[in-house]
Amino acid sequence: MATLTPDRKRALRTELEGILGRGAVLSDPDELLVYESDGLTLFRALADFVVFPTSAEHVSQVVKLANREGLPFVARGAGTGLSGGCLPAEGGIVLSLMRMSRVLEVDYDNQLAVVEPGLVNLHLSWKVGPKGYYYAPDPSSQQACTIGGNIANNSGGPHTLKYGVTTNHVLGLEVVMPDGEIVWLGGKTRESQGYDLVGVFVGSEGTFGIATKIVVRILKKPQAVKTVLAVFDEVDQASAAVSEIIARGLVPAAVEMIDQLTIGAVEDAFGCGYPRDAAAALLVELDGLAVGMETQAERIVAACRDAGARDVRSAKDEAERQLLWKGRKSAFGAYGRVSPAYMVMDGVIPRTKLPYVLRRVNEIVGAAGLRVGNVFHAGDGNLHPNILYDPRKPGEEARVVAAGAEIMKVCADVGGSISGEHGIGLEKADFMPFIFSAADLALMQKLKNAFNPTGLCNPGKVFPTRKSCGEAGPTAYRPHPIEEQGLAQRF
Amino acid sequence: MQAAVLEKLRGIVGTPHVLTGIELSPFVVEGRTPEAAVFPGGVDEVRAVVTLAAESEVPVIAWGGGTAAAAGMPAPRPGLVLGLKRLDRVVEHEPGDLTVTVEAGRTMAALQSTLHERGQWLSLDPPDAERATIGGIVATNASGPRRHLYGTARDLLIGVTVVTADGALVRGGGKVVKNVAGYDLPKLFVGSCGTLGVIVELTVKLRPRPDDERLVVAPFDRLKDAGSAVRAVMASDLIPNALDLCDAEALRPLGMVGAPAALLVGFDGVAEQVAWQIEELKRLVQAAGGEEPRVLPSDRWPRLATAAADAFDGAGAIMRLCVLPTQVSDVMEQGSALARARGLASAWTAHAGVGVLTGALSLGGRRDDVGAVADVLRGWRGIAQAFAGYAVLDVAPLALKDAVGVWDEAGAAGRIMERIKHELDPRNVLNPGRFVGNI
Repeated sequence: MATLTPDRKRALRTELEGILGRGAVLSDPDELLVYESDGLTLFRALADFVVFPTSAEHVSQVVKLANREGLPFVARGAGTGLSGGCLPAEGGIVLSLMRMSRVLEVDYDNQLAVVEPGLVNLHLSWKVGPKGYYYAPDPSSQQACTIGGNIANNSGGPHTLKYGVTTNHVLGLEVVMPDGEIVWLGGKTRESQGYDLVGVFVGSEGTFGIATKIVVRILKKPQAVKTVLAVFDEVDQASAAVSEIIARGLVPAAVEMIDQLTIGAVEDAFGCGYPRDAAAALLVELDGLAVGMETQAERIVAACRDAGARDVRSAKDEAERQLLWKGRKSAFGAYGRVSPAYMVMDGVIPRTKLPYVLRRVNEIVGAAGLRVGNVFHAGDGNLHPNILYDPRKPGEEARVVAAGAEIMKVCADVGGSISGEHGIGLEKADFMPFIFSAADLALMQKLKNAFNPTGLCNPGKVFPTRKSCGEAGPTAYRPHPIEEQGLAQRF
Repeated sequence: MQAAVLEKLRGIVGTPHVLTGIELSPFVVEGRTPEAAVFPGGVDEVRAVVTLAAESEVPVIAWGGGTAAAAGMPAPRPGLVLGLKRLDRVVEHEPGDLTVTVEAGRTMAALQSTLHERGQWLSLDPPDAERATIGGIVATNASGPRRHLYGTARDLLIGVTVVTADGALVRGGGKVVKNVAGYDLPKLFVGSCGTLGVIVELTVKLRPRPDDERLVVAPFDRLKDAGSAVRAVMASDLIPNALDLCDAEALRPLGMVGAPAALLVGFDGVAEQVAWQIEELKRLVQAAGGEEPRVLPSDRWPRLATAAADAFDGAGAIMRLCVLPTQVSDVMEQGSALARARGLASAWTAHAGVGVLTGALSLGGRRDDVGAVADVLRGWRGIAQAFAGYAVLDVAPLALKDAVGVWDEAGAAGRIMERIKHELDPRNVLNPGRFVGNI
């Protein structure tokens, strides 16, 4: 890590202001503090500069300057990430893309839009909504997170069960490569010749370059939506219902599970109508044609009943549907009612392993003397155990981190993955060997070398062999500023 | 190939699984006979073969069903055919997970038949299902009409195991449907044509088979009107699983003579959904000036993807053009007119909703007139480029490949591809010289 002398830092600040204009460069430690972590406040690291480019040309010039100086650099969107992926782990320059937030073009006939990376996810759906379209990937931070950040993390959301994750909706990218060259990967057409560079760039966690224009698909809004709530006395029954639904040839838009502890917290906070005495509830959403919706809903109801549901009902109107979803989406905020702090885990397992893994999660957390709330994307096996704890109690946070690692190991052992949507970043870099061999990681490193041979573009992420992380390292939980403002919950 | 190398190959896979001399005739591509063909019986044998070939500086050409053996530029020198037909097991199919892990050499038809037994399918429908292998389909990114709704291999492949140029066994992705751990290696191997690794095993997402499915055809007097109907369908509430456009020549092999153009639309789902959508389509087609849509027998599905190629006996050249959906009928009209002006017949199909066209050019009596034919193909590519798209020459005689080039301009992205190739296969062992940018 390069340490800048005060003189050098002043000179570089002047040069950066020359590129970006005044008011687009931060270098005072007080100002930099805002950018020291993302949504995972466990890790902190300070940059030398935070800059606010407004064009690809700006980004390119800053990147070229960073290369010349040997300074690491990293792109940042809204900072809602949950793995420390956008932290300046080794100092250097943070490029905040929040001033590149325009929708540049919408082509409704061809169902695509061209946007800038700093555009807030939900704002794209707002923009195209009046004409009956929407942008499908819906991470729960979608009120705050940016499409550029979604590209880096290949973000998911509840409705990815039917519609896929970010990578399934990206057609092309204008990218500032780690050497500053501006190139197009893919374009507006559905496929491009040669290697799928868009496919490998999406989800590369900011280590392959910085996307400055993004071509995404927009979808027609479904004609009809139907939401079913199924209530169970046993968690295993709810898990079995997920498999039953799949086995009956149904692909719902979303299948979400909420356990008893979470229901209690949600009901305390919002009163959404979930029964407190249920061991678990499933929220199942169907969408598509209005015709045939009842037939499919009947099959969902039958599948849940056969799995042992004690009560299954459909939301009778849009208000009730919204209330049920509010319970689901606000669950994380509601944990504040029952615990001073919590840490969200993100792991994926084959759907059929749900009963076993949920039991193991409870055992692991129980053995650590802690409590866990589960609220997650059951339909695609994406778990989010939330371990509740009190950061003021000495040693408790360390037990949370240890239990989290054990849960990741369980996910790996049943043939799953250590991240479904939050990414590896700093948090899970050392867990990568749970699921990848040295040969697997070596190939990933070669791929990285092809894009980012100097390693200056977002160093210290994804790979387990970490260099010194500077200031980055586990610290006590603090709510993220946007959580405190109620703008986003963790999902 | 040196006798010593051949002997070692026999030692690795067993003598009956090494073919030489006259036995190689099924593996002759564009007049070039490979040095040998080997058929490993397991992943370790694949690794040993690749390692030996790399040491001996013999190019390795992964071979599934051979349905795309001539894809790409002609091989600059003969190599070793590495056949995967013995790796054809279903490794794991857990219906409740909606995933299957399968070895690369299993044919698509055999895989689908295993899945159908449990009421599921892999939603990928490229032609030649009886011969094409799942590994080959992924390596060439082959697709069919249902891609309109269900996407292509990139949307379905969640895990891949490959043998890399240094003989290492590498796994990318995993077995779960949602996974962001590490780089998305499955994407890297989709469409990589065996230039980065030999795919030996894959895990794909599955779907339940729908209750009902129908393919409907709506003839039009004017191609332009059919193009407008494509737009109308896309803007409607309908959720077709296929939205294809054919010109008159391509309709003949589908058994429809006389119509200048037709829209072919697929619907699936519960029966009442399919029925409602067909009625709704009738309304949209009528408004666009088309004839009453009618349901086709389901055996027409597999013929959709090859209709352009099937239009002529021994079609001379087949080009794939990628543009935007709204440009499809214009590209078809311009491409067809360009061929006609040179006295050549052409047949056109398109997965119109995704903007992917196939143009087949009949050489007729002009087989030796390379200049004229090449002009037409270059013209087609020019049309695609004028619409900000691109064109790839999928099938053509050698002289035409040389004259026109198989691949389109790759630009700056091509340089990144070259760097990837150099990082993963620095000695240029895997299927060299045939891919984009001379990779």
